[in-house]
Amino acid sequence: MPRILDVGCGPEKYPGSIAVDMNPTTAADVICHLDRGGLPFRDNSFDQVRAIHLIEHVADVIGTMEEFHRVTRPGGSILLVTPHYTDFSSFRDPTHRWHLNSYSFIYFYSGGMHGRDMWYTRTRLRERRLTVRLLNLWRALGFEFLVNHAGWFRRFWEQYLSFVIRGKVMEFEFEVVK
Amino acid sequence: MPRILDVGCGPKKYPGAIGIDIHPATQADVLCDWSRGLPFRDSQFDEVRLIHVIEEVNDIFKTLAEVHRVAKPGARVVIVTPHYTDHASYCSPAHRWHLSSFSFWFFSGQPREYDYYAPAQFRERRVGVRLLQLWRVLGFEFLVNRSRRFRRFWEQYLSFLVRGKAITFELEVIK
Repeated sequence: MPRILDVGCGPEKYPGSIAVDMNPTTAADVICHLDRGGLPFRDNSFDQVRAIHLIEHVADVIGTMEEFHRVTRPGGSILLVTPHYTDFSSFRDPTHRWHLNSYSFIYFYSGGMHGRDMWYTRTRLRERRLTVRLLNLWRALGFEFLVNHAGWFRRFWEQYLSFVIRGKVMEFEFEVVK
Repeated sequence: MPRILDVGCGPKKYPGAIGIDIHPATQADVLCDWSRGLPFRDSQFDEVRLIHVIEEVNDIFKTLAEVHRVAKPGARVVIVTPHYTDHASYCSPAHRWHLSSFSFWFFSGQPREYDYYAPAQFRERRVGVRLLQLWRVLGFEFLVNRSRRFRRFWEQYLSFLVRGKAITFELEVIK
């Protein structure tokens, strides 16, 4: 059975996972504060780390991703769900510190920074899957399909269209490279 | 006479208010780093004003918890802050938070599961959004302020084109 860690699980944790939250009134199995000392687990202890609507709240995105990478086994996966910065939900919660786009994590990709590895972190991830959701109107008009099925169109959308054809939520699945 | 507290009053204090600021080159009556807490007793003020302040604080929840503490039950809290689509939201490197007209739903009538994060409760009395002049002239500002449904539609679909300026929140303290 895969070992899954649900970080910032909230009131409903992912079935079968070990769940962590800072808030004791949630479904968490382990209460800890990510921003104060990281995750209380050994290296390579999980097959998957899930962080659903979490990363936009943390004090340090890079430190948190490094921590997820540490506790995940080589070849394991990290699943993130977070608002796109053009979605109004990104600005509706006064605890959202970060406003991210679909390229925000190339920081961790091998050769991600203009063909070079980012020299400020040793954590390496590979993008396995990325889905961007758009507002209903734009989905109905086929823009969501294009954004998710043509890499060049996603770049064009981020650069030219995304303040009009606004995004909603992004789902990233990364493979942990060690 | 109502007791009014102007938090982060700057050089133009609200008339008749007690001003508090960290910087001496202001009209503050009380000088202190109020981000560590407000130096007043519980339930002292009829009105607390935070004008272009909340976008700069370290922790919005802690700040509002302090405001809630020093305000009387039923007191008025006035918050003015840039809308996240206004360039003013990005003009100052001291701005930590980029907020929308729904950013304070958290503190009023939200699901109970959020009580842990926001134990201080307020009631939203009024939300007013100002738009750029052009859009005001074309009637968008009127519509946004007239109907909550239109305001939501504007936030979701239009606000990066029909851009906002400042938002005014009037909250009532519930104790």
